[in-house]
Amino acid sequence: MKSNIKKGKITMIITIGISCFALSLIMSMQFKIVNETDITSIENMREAELRTELANWKSKYEETDEKYEEVLDKIEEYKKTKQSNEETEKLVDEELKQVNMTMGKTDVKGEGIEVTLEEKDDEEIGRISSDSLLLIVNALKSAGAEAISINEERIINMSDIVDINNSFIKVNGQRILAPYVIKAIGNQSYLESILVGNGGPVDEMKKIGQNVNISKSNNIKILKYNKDIKIKYIQ
Amino acid sequence: MIFIAILIGCIAGALIGINVPMISYTYSSYLAIAIIAALDSVFGGITSVINKNFNLKIFVTGFFGNAILAILLTILGQKLNVDIYLAAIVVFVGRMFVNLAIIRRYYVDKWSNMIKHKDKK
Repeated sequence: MKSNIKKGKITMIITIGISCFALSLIMSMQFKIVNETDITSIENMREAELRTELANWKSKYEETDEKYEEVLDKIEEYKKTKQSNEETEKLVDEELKQVNMTMGKTDVKGEGIEVTLEEKDDEEIGRISSDSLLLIVNALKSAGAEAISINEERIINMSDIVDINNSFIKVNGQRILAPYVIKAIGNQSYLESILVGNGGPVDEMKKIGQNVNISKSNNIKILKYNKDIKIKYIQ
Repeated sequence: MIFIAILIGCIAGALIGINVPMISYTYSSYLAIAIIAALDSVFGGITSVINKNFNLKIFVTGFFGNAILAILLTILGQKLNVDIYLAAIVVFVGRMFVNLAIIRRYYVDKWSNMIKHKDKK
């Protein structure tokens, strides 16, 4: 009887011990979990919290997306204006180049002819006057010469070809001496035919007996006008 | 003797529980509900000791059965999208308060009786 009671008591002690053990085990585990878990981290959020968070992020995303779209539009606009600017820049550049070429501000080369006038020591034939040069230049211009030079002096719209005291010729204010070499860029056959054709200036000069040579070349180089072009009165 | 068993059980459980690897936060709600159920059983056990009708089998089955049942109910509640664990907490904590009231009354009566006895002397 006594041992029976004791047995019952021992089982009771053991079972209560075990239950205490289990209780404190899960309690301490739970304490540890609650202590060490960061409830703000996304893995540990409850569903409702996650939902609000997700909605927040979604609205933020939409806002940012809208802004992004706006910025993209702006960039597109800027690109367009930039492109048009570039186009105009190109156009202006092209125009400037052309103007510089025709104005004689750059060295140019191309197909054309070279006229050489040599003075003879002959009183009868006489010296070559500026009028002959002017006639030749005018004829070349009318035949469509795009660039003309006399003894490397570029003929531009302001150029002068004048006789000084019937003794020497000035071109662009620069004294030049025989032999005179007139270079012109343009259609070779046009240029030549207008000079040597019947009644042309070279034809006339040859008739007088002056020494004129015309040579064609595919690579005539004409230097640029080497002075400043001053504009004072044009408004 | 019983107190030594309780003490050893508690200390051993706490030590092991602290050193055991962490369980995911998701399962901590099940653990919490199990703790509440077990505590309820403990207070119920103390009350029955006071009422002198303590039965070890009932205590043990209640201790573990309630805990497991609470966990199962919580899982079911999550599956059904109903917060059953709230009901479990209300029931368990309510019963804990009732049991605590009984225990408190018993000890207050005992104490006041003691004081009366002293006064009579």
